[in-house]
Amino acid sequence: MSELQIALTNTAGISSVMSFWVFVGSNACQRWREIMLRIACVVMVIGFAALTVAIIARGIDAGRFPLANLYESLLWFAWAVMGSFLILERSYGVHQLGWLASLTAATMFLYGSWLPASQHEIQPLVPALVSYWRQIHVPPLICSYAMFFLSGLSGLAQLWQAGRLRSLICAVGAMVLATTAVALGTFTSVESFWLQGLFVGGSLIGLTASWLNLEQVSEARVNQARAELYDEVAYRAISIGFPLLTIGIITGGLWANHAWGTYWSWDPKESMALVTWLSYAAYIHLRIHRECSAEKLSVVTIAGMLLTLLTYLGFNSLGFGGLHSYGKFK
Amino acid sequence: MITAAPPVQSPVQTRRSRLAVFASVRLTVTLLVLIAATVLIGAWCPQESQVGQQKVIDMFGEEMAFNLSRWGITDIFHSPWLLTLIALLTVNMLACSFQRVFPKVRSLKQPMPWLTGREIGKLPFNKQLVLPVRCEQGLSKLSEHLSKSGYRVCLQDERLVAEFGKFGRLAPTITHIGLLTLLMGVTISSWTGFSGFQPIPLGGSLNFNMSEHSKLWIGKLPEWRVRVEATRRDDYPTGEPKQWFSDLSVITGQGKLAKREQISVNNPLTYDGVDIYQSSWGLDQIVVRFNQHRRHLGLSPMGKLYAAFLELEPGTVLIFSVRDQLQPLRLFAKMDSWPSPRLLTEIPLGRSIRLGAVDLTYEAVVPVTGLQYKSDPGLPVTLVAFAFIISGVLLAAVPHRQVWAHVEAANGLARIAGSAPATAGYGQPGSAIEDTQKACILSIGGRSVKARTLFERSLQKLLAGIHKDLCHSAGETA
Repeated sequence: MSELQIALTNTAGISSVMSFWVFVGSNACQRWREIMLRIACVVMVIGFAALTVAIIARGIDAGRFPLANLYESLLWFAWAVMGSFLILERSYGVHQLGWLASLTAATMFLYGSWLPASQHEIQPLVPALVSYWRQIHVPPLICSYAMFFLSGLSGLAQLWQAGRLRSLICAVGAMVLATTAVALGTFTSVESFWLQGLFVGGSLIGLTASWLNLEQVSEARVNQARAELYDEVAYRAISIGFPLLTIGIITGGLWANHAWGTYWSWDPKESMALVTWLSYAAYIHLRIHRECSAEKLSVVTIAGMLLTLLTYLGFNSLGFGGLHSYGKFK
Repeated sequence: MITAAPPVQSPVQTRRSRLAVFASVRLTVTLLVLIAATVLIGAWCPQESQVGQQKVIDMFGEEMAFNLSRWGITDIFHSPWLLTLIALLTVNMLACSFQRVFPKVRSLKQPMPWLTGREIGKLPFNKQLVLPVRCEQGLSKLSEHLSKSGYRVCLQDERLVAEFGKFGRLAPTITHIGLLTLLMGVTISSWTGFSGFQPIPLGGSLNFNMSEHSKLWIGKLPEWRVRVEATRRDDYPTGEPKQWFSDLSVITGQGKLAKREQISVNNPLTYDGVDIYQSSWGLDQIVVRFNQHRRHLGLSPMGKLYAAFLELEPGTVLIFSVRDQLQPLRLFAKMDSWPSPRLLTEIPLGRSIRLGAVDLTYEAVVPVTGLQYKSDPGLPVTLVAFAFIISGVLLAAVPHRQVWAHVEAANGLARIAGSAPATAGYGQPGSAIEDTQKACILSIGGRSVKARTLFERSLQKLLAGIHKDLCHSAGETA
């Protein structure tokens, strides 16, 4: 990696951490709130710009489209989260989403920086990846994952604004357990069986508890207008992420057909992408036909976010095999 | 006691109510969740058809693997359970499509209804404001601003209707058409297509006799074959494989050359509706001669190298190691008493060396190319389905917005809003009134299902813009 790339990527990482703290600080300091929110957004814009240039510089250094391994995909994911948040913030003024989005981006930078040096270095492509389909298939998927993360984070904010604190705590607990499983799977040699149990078990228990506690409302904390806003943001993020995921899955099928002679091989990663697609298809049907309350839909978006995490990082770190092993490094 | 007779349903109604069970959205969501859960299990559990039974036994132990196999989990993607769920979802999709989704297309032709001021007041978003212009001017200004924002506007007397993203309403219809077309394409492929994989050594031929196809198959296997004329691997300077190439000839049943083409990964050969793909590559065997005795020794992949083993006597092994078709053959010896093999010599291709009383000649290395093939007659239908699905989901992201407006003269009600407070943005009815003949009350309202907040904000902004324009022109006139 060139010095320029390192400097720009570090700038983006530090910016995401800084904007996180400024967003958090704005809640504590009502007097300077507006100014702090603006500063946080400006810092994030700087980080986003630095990351954009870093990705372009990596592409120039590599002489190819810079999206070929886990580290590069993490850069893209952080870029998409930051960019999408800035667009949503401009459209909706959803400040509470800011610290969650910058925390997600910062976590991805941290996760990426802890990966082995071979991931940071520019590596030659394996024959299967030498195709123009790579730049058609992968970016829509990474951007859809980012949109689904933002929708899940909006779901968390919606639960907070709707006064569903117990549900929120359970959902956050599920996320922490799932993230821990992914981190342990990446950086330790804990048995896959236990990690899969931690991810799936933690998610199932946390989300079920979250769903069952939706009736518990802290009336004093309810801000109905903001709750509706976050509900709408979650839906908007999904209505953009879902077409991107569909395009990603279909172009993946076309690429597989072009390279291996089959659209679909029930590879674990393919199957997980289908699971994610089906879960968001269910969300859209529930939403359009008004079958569920906004709070229940928020829990569904959080479940979708966990499925997205499993599809994106879980399958490589929790010991699943398959054709999509480019993200593996162990 | 007189009881009310139950309402009698006509046969058509009865059929519809039966269909309603299959057209239920709850059934859709339930099936989607069940299919997702089944696929998730299939993604977690290695599938016998992909990795073989031994891998499942290695992972779960013999007893657990037996139970998983008995429950159908190790071949879940072909299980009756998943096939039933998919069949039910298909029925559900057909019922939904014909009962609810497709009829929506007709509603696109229907014009928006004209609403009165009172009806507009009941819409999710509604505003009333006073404009310092005559009715027709106010309406025309609103029409102008809405058109600029991409709305399609219709005017009638003192009323206005405007719509944005009308074709976004086609999203479910197009997506459902796409999904049904996809099922059709997959069915055609399944009933008439075939596929397979064969590793073919250099000079060998691929035929289609061992092809795989579904049980309900009405297709025909080709009689022609494919001969491997040449095959090679290109490496990066680091030694990692960069690309695999195979030079293939299509030979007809009569033995004539029909086509010759070089394929590589992501670059297949297509002939007579069959695609042939470069799937893998390796070195199959080496040909060596010990004095006058020729031996073919099978190679095994060992990381970046390939090796053949020849036991000379118990405890003594000759190891032949080769990297690719160009590098020399490296000859090692290994005895039980040695900690590691010892390099004896290197033999360039076509050369001989003397080993004691033996002349050892490295005659050839035979590469093997992994060729995947398939015939997919449903491909055009599948591609059309993909186009429909992508168009449908993209249209779904377009928000559908509807606006209604009504104006009436504000006789004796309004004051010229040029003096309205800056914070309000535009004059509100009921504010301090200066009598004027040139004022109107605009009732405006609208709805947007997907992006309500954005819609309301955009409309607020638009109204503020109209007011600013009108105040500016009113000021100039004054």
